[in-house]
Amino acid sequence: MITITGLSASYDAVDVLHAVDITANDGELTVILGANGSGKSTLFKAMSGVLRPTAGQVEFNGEDITRSSPAGIVKKGLAHCPEGRHLFPQMSVEKNLMLGAYVRRGDKKRVKALLERSYELFPILHEKRKQAAGSLSGGQQQMVAIGRSLMSDPTMLILDEPSMGLAPLITQQVFDTIVEINKEGIGVLLAEQNANSALQIATSGYVLAEGRVVLSGTAKELQNDPRVQRAYLGV
Amino acid sequence: MTLFVQQLANGLALGGIYCLAAIGLTLVFGVLGFPNLAHGALYMLGAYLTFFFLTDVGLPYVVAILAAAVVLAFLGVVLERLVFHPLRNSPHTHHMIATVGVMFFLVAVVQEIWGTGFLRMESPVNGQVSVAGAQVSWQRIIIIVTAVVVLLLLTWFLKRSPHGQAIEAIEQDRTGAALVGINPSMVSMVTFAVSLALVAIAAGLVAPINLLSPGMGDSLSLTVFAIIILGGLGSLPGAIIGGFTIAIAEVMAATYISVGAGEAAIFIILIAVLAIKPTGIFGTVTQR
Repeated sequence: MITITGLSASYDAVDVLHAVDITANDGELTVILGANGSGKSTLFKAMSGVLRPTAGQVEFNGEDITRSSPAGIVKKGLAHCPEGRHLFPQMSVEKNLMLGAYVRRGDKKRVKALLERSYELFPILHEKRKQAAGSLSGGQQQMVAIGRSLMSDPTMLILDEPSMGLAPLITQQVFDTIVEINKEGIGVLLAEQNANSALQIATSGYVLAEGRVVLSGTAKELQNDPRVQRAYLGV
Repeated sequence: MTLFVQQLANGLALGGIYCLAAIGLTLVFGVLGFPNLAHGALYMLGAYLTFFFLTDVGLPYVVAILAAAVVLAFLGVVLERLVFHPLRNSPHTHHMIATVGVMFFLVAVVQEIWGTGFLRMESPVNGQVSVAGAQVSWQRIIIIVTAVVVLLLLTWFLKRSPHGQAIEAIEQDRTGAALVGINPSMVSMVTFAVSLALVAIAAGLVAPINLLSPGMGDSLSLTVFAIIILGGLGSLPGAIIGGFTIAIAEVMAATYISVGAGEAAIFIILIAVLAIKPTGIFGTVTQR
């Protein structure tokens, strides 16, 4: 479980995130909605230790991880699949996946099982395991990115706009996979602009605007909220 | 024909030296994103350390080179911690200025200990072998064999070991590497250690052929920068191919045209390649 309290963050003294409070429960799918520049990615970066928050606290399973290193946070079971994927483009698909298990490299058996699970989840990646990750299509690259995050055997997975730049059909496939991952018991924190699809699979959600939480509730509540409908669902 | 084979052997030996020195430079560039202008000075220090271990301590030749490599690898870790790590959030020009500082510092230290004059290292292995009618010295054969063995070990290290994979990951995507839990400071230290060990081996191999002087790194530095630009900045295969191409061109031009043409050949090739492919042979366009 993740509990974020009063989290603020900035880039070069420009404040992006203002005292955000968010809770994501184990095994649930929590969605963060918001337009471009509303602070979704900044929030995620501050959670995974890539960006130092200026104020506030991030608690993961009751433990304060606000000042932990990215490596320490991955080891504790919180994986971050970033916006724009950030794969290792010249390496093969399999090497990308194996590097996802970098913090678990001491346990060969577990890594092997994790690799098999990734291939079960994305059979196409098994077919293309020897190809350079950068040569795959956008949807397949997104699968590599998700698979790589799962290789660290997380209990909670942060997914930053996995549908970005993908065709609608591929987006649907990616969403189906997210549901499948969630069903395995892995908590998912999903940032999306694609509010409609995201709310359909989510348990609960938050709406970010200009770095502040402006709305929150269960997925049902958000779907029926007139403000969400007007702003995101095109009703 | 005999002359050609002779010069080809010389070119290959020189190419081995260039490769080892160039790979160290291109690794640091790939991981840390700045050119280490002290690379030539570190090469010079590697040669002096080999001389010290061979002549003053009395170690066997190969052991002396390895000892110099270990000392330089350790120095690499110290430099990373002391000089470059504190600069990690500053612009890359600051790193470059710092490398110039390191260069002057090392030259001054060597001048203080060993003096400003030339030193000659006794050739530890003498004799020659006949290859296709040409006489090739054992020293050059040792250089070629060592270079190949070290290149193979390095490839294994980068492709198979976790630390090597971490280096490649950081070169290809810094954010992605951080998110899978790779510690950038650790990788910077390992990279500096490997880079400096390689340049020490190059220097140790060449020490019996060339005279040692505090300025011996300057011309190597220039050539090695030409090689990594030719091969593509940050590219390992680029550094290997560039190293051998430049070395053979240099030796052949010096033999068949004139001694002066040797050095000119390096830069003629560099200009020609860059005119056709501005990123170098294996270079990719990156924004830093």
